[in-house]
Amino acid sequence: MTGIPDGPSLDLDLFSDDALTDPFPGYQLIRDTAPAVYLPRYRSWAMGRYADVRAALGDWESFSSAQGIGLNDLANAATQGMIIATDPPEHDKLRNVLAARLSPKAIRNLKADIERRADELVEPLVRQGSFDAVGDLARAFPISIVLDLIGLPQDGRDKVLGWADAAFSASGPPGPRTDAAFPLLQDQLAYLSSVQPDQLTPGSMGRAIYDAAAAGEIRQESCVPLMSAYVTAGLDTTINAISNAVWYFARDPEQWDLVRADHSLIPGAFNEVLRIEAPVQFFCRVATRDVEVDGQRLAAGSRVMMLYASANRDERKWQDPDRFDVTRNPVDHLAFGYGMHGCAGQGLARLEGHSILGALARRVERFEVGTPVRRINQLIRGLDGLPTTVVPAA
Amino acid sequence: MRIIVDETRCEGYGFCAEAAPHLLELDDEGELTVLSEQVAPDEAANAEAAVRVCPVAALRLQS
Repeated sequence: MTGIPDGPSLDLDLFSDDALTDPFPGYQLIRDTAPAVYLPRYRSWAMGRYADVRAALGDWESFSSAQGIGLNDLANAATQGMIIATDPPEHDKLRNVLAARLSPKAIRNLKADIERRADELVEPLVRQGSFDAVGDLARAFPISIVLDLIGLPQDGRDKVLGWADAAFSASGPPGPRTDAAFPLLQDQLAYLSSVQPDQLTPGSMGRAIYDAAAAGEIRQESCVPLMSAYVTAGLDTTINAISNAVWYFARDPEQWDLVRADHSLIPGAFNEVLRIEAPVQFFCRVATRDVEVDGQRLAAGSRVMMLYASANRDERKWQDPDRFDVTRNPVDHLAFGYGMHGCAGQGLARLEGHSILGALARRVERFEVGTPVRRINQLIRGLDGLPTTVVPAA
Repeated sequence: MRIIVDETRCEGYGFCAEAAPHLLELDDEGELTVLSEQVAPDEAANAEAAVRVCPVAALRLQS
């Protein structure tokens, strides 16, 4: 596609430091302007209203993932064959391998262990009184759980987190941030290629990928991309959700009182954290045919940013969307995406989130936080540090 | 109106069963069971809620 297509367009920069620090005014402008708005800087459309984003995510035949979900050609080429960048029937074969280990049924037996790990992590932090809610809590928890579940050898584990952060950021628009992140995505893939199947813990989720290839369920060359899906999607997402939870509850202690008084609110509270601060801000789709979005025409071949984070604050869908409210239970938020590509690990993410919130709710009366340090990433939104002091529960 | 489960997409999250307990149920094995494919008029709102909360779009209504 060349030139600027017909239709509403905005000369909006969504990837400046300011925009990445506070993207919500930009999302508001997109929502206010039209169902889909062309952003010439990225040669892409952006969709920001809940109903449109959800409908598009539910219609993979019109909105394909197979040409990549990012905003630059290099990353879209490098992620070819990863589950996130596939359509059926290829998608379904890969999804089955993940779902066999990640579905709610498959992870039921992990619940007790994850709850125990949450207690073991939270108890000494609360006793200590002050800690970094990002480094000491939000990062420490998923790293220990997810890397054990994947069955990765201890060697190289320290680098996995940096690679995961970069693997997201590498899908931003062409520019210095993408240039800096892309080699790290390559490093991640090189590392995963170097891990031999017999180095993965027997019975682990990682080992199951290679078993599926040996059984002929998937192709051998799908193994490393699936490993990448685990180590990329399983870390920064949950990490950001947990640190955002502490950040929001520190600023809104009355909401924390509600959760402490009634632990049955925890699943809804975790959904509300995900709604108001979607860890993944957007992924793209490409229109496979001329499509209409709420009466607006998009030409075949249009790349469209699906702004999950904007949909989750769409005033057409949510009452008072910028207010954090743990009683809202926004179970149909789009932080996990929706439909066929809906997060395959959301059951595990929920289990981790609920376990940490439960462990905190039993022990913490108040969170007091200092100035948060934001982590700048082109696709995911979260904190790099959050100095936290807790008042223990009596 | 009927409620249809796409069994190839369903991963057993069970939110639908919470939204429409008279129509759908997660069995002891964690598999989704359709208790009643036919949706009575007074269950229509629950059926719509069940479809709405499915994270993987495995449910649909057919009139």
